[in-house]
Amino acid sequence: MKQFSTLLLKEWRENLRNFKIFWIPVVFILLGVTEPLSNYYLPQILDATGGLPDGAVIELPDPEPEQLLVAVMGQFQLIGMLVLVLAYMGSIAGERRNGTATLLYVRPLSYVSYFLSKWLMASIVALISVWAGFLAGYYYTAVLFSAVPFGEFLAFAATYSLWMVLVVTLVLFASASMQNAGLAAGFTLAALLILQLIDSLFGSRWEWSPLKLPNYAASFLDIGPDVTALIWTLAISLVCLIGLAALGIWFSKRNRAKTKV
Amino acid sequence: MNVLEVRSLTKRFGTEQAVDGLGFELAEGSATALIGPNGAGKTTTLSMLAGLLEASAGEIQRKKNLSIGFLPQYPRFFPWLSALEFTEMAAKLSGVDSRKARQQAERTLGFVGLGQVANKKIGGFSGGMKQRLGLAQAMVHQPSLLLLDEPISSLDPTGRREVMELLKSLLGQTTILYSTHILNDAEEMTDQLLFLQNGRLVEHGSLNQVRSRYADPQIRIRFENTNAAERFMHESPWPAAVQGTAVIVPVKAEGPIMQDVFRFLSVKSLPVVGVEQETASLEDIFLKVVAGK
Repeated sequence: MKQFSTLLLKEWRENLRNFKIFWIPVVFILLGVTEPLSNYYLPQILDATGGLPDGAVIELPDPEPEQLLVAVMGQFQLIGMLVLVLAYMGSIAGERRNGTATLLYVRPLSYVSYFLSKWLMASIVALISVWAGFLAGYYYTAVLFSAVPFGEFLAFAATYSLWMVLVVTLVLFASASMQNAGLAAGFTLAALLILQLIDSLFGSRWEWSPLKLPNYAASFLDIGPDVTALIWTLAISLVCLIGLAALGIWFSKRNRAKTKV
Repeated sequence: MNVLEVRSLTKRFGTEQAVDGLGFELAEGSATALIGPNGAGKTTTLSMLAGLLEASAGEIQRKKNLSIGFLPQYPRFFPWLSALEFTEMAAKLSGVDSRKARQQAERTLGFVGLGQVANKKIGGFSGGMKQRLGLAQAMVHQPSLLLLDEPISSLDPTGRREVMELLKSLLGQTTILYSTHILNDAEEMTDQLLFLQNGRLVEHGSLNQVRSRYADPQIRIRFENTNAAERFMHESPWPAAVQGTAVIVPVKAEGPIMQDVFRFLSVKSLPVVGVEQETASLEDIFLKVVAGK
């Protein structure tokens, strides 16, 4: 526990002084703002780019605010996830590679504290980013179009938050188990793409899957998810999260000899 | 009392035998120098003793509750931490009480000569400063055994002297095992020498023991020119070797020949510049050991 707070302080200083705690949320806020703004100004954008005959009248139906928030989530699923993977791919593999880990590993280090301090810090940054991004999107949608009921929005963002924490856990697991940061990022992205592909191809046969968390999050803005399916999905997601963290701890201990001396 | 005993320590990387059946002991409060050519297995040995690498075979017996400080050859630091922040973290992770950690870190940084820059970011440190910081993080928790991989090699002469003095002041309470290829320095601080070659311990003992085994005393006669040196070699009754304008004559065990040399020189009236009796330096021994006795 004492080691955990010492290591968490180190992670906090790293994220603060590398500006990760600032620039990652900024990316998410931009993603959150772009969706409602670009929809609002779509007629002007079309007008400015030209290509339409003179006198053509552009009439677009106003998008539903729920659709805009789901579109924001779509951006997070692509760019947001990529940013988080790239930002944290080197958390453990990078420290081993550049040799900074050596001076930690020669001490009676608790690898549980070592892994979890990194996990907690990365999760905090991911959560700040997701909530800042969604709130920005929510605000601009409400101002430019109309407001989504706030309760639904909270359930939506909270469910999606668990998904992002799961992604962060996967990145750290990969960083603990892989040779270097690049491999860790490649593994994480490949795993996410393949699993999402499988879930979208055959996913109609099952309802309980962590990969459906974004879908369930989105359905809170619609008719609401099937409660039983959601609870089971949440439970399985938690089991996956704990399992990945446990494996990550085991790997970070096993791979300690791979650090550069 | 030994703080550490090593028996038949072996490390293989694939088919490569990096360390092969090493055995030695470290007496409490003593200084041991680990010497050997590049690739002899010094760093691998130290990594195993520090617990970073698993041994393939053999055993390392540590004294109960032995606390170890380790300085790698090229210590790497988080550039975004200050020297004090890093040293304090190192102390805490080694089990120093949170309240004492900062105080102890400050004192250690002062001790290694980084007191002025304690609050500066490590990212801006020079190589020598990093080496000192490496020493600070190794000793901040006051370990009873210090393992130092080339602690002085990357320092300038002044820094080398300072760090040597600093390490010597620790001896007694602290046991030190260090590797080095600067043999002059090893000569100065060593109770035990361990010569490593191709992963094997090829020679060990105290400096005097090793010296008496290898270093027959010799007489060095310096002449004004090579001609005179060569004449001496051909005409003298002793086996001699020419080294530039000088001649080396090994001293036989049977008796002193210094007087014989003087007599011979005056008879032949060779242009002598100087005559001195030498014991072989650690460097000579090193070359002999490495060349295979």
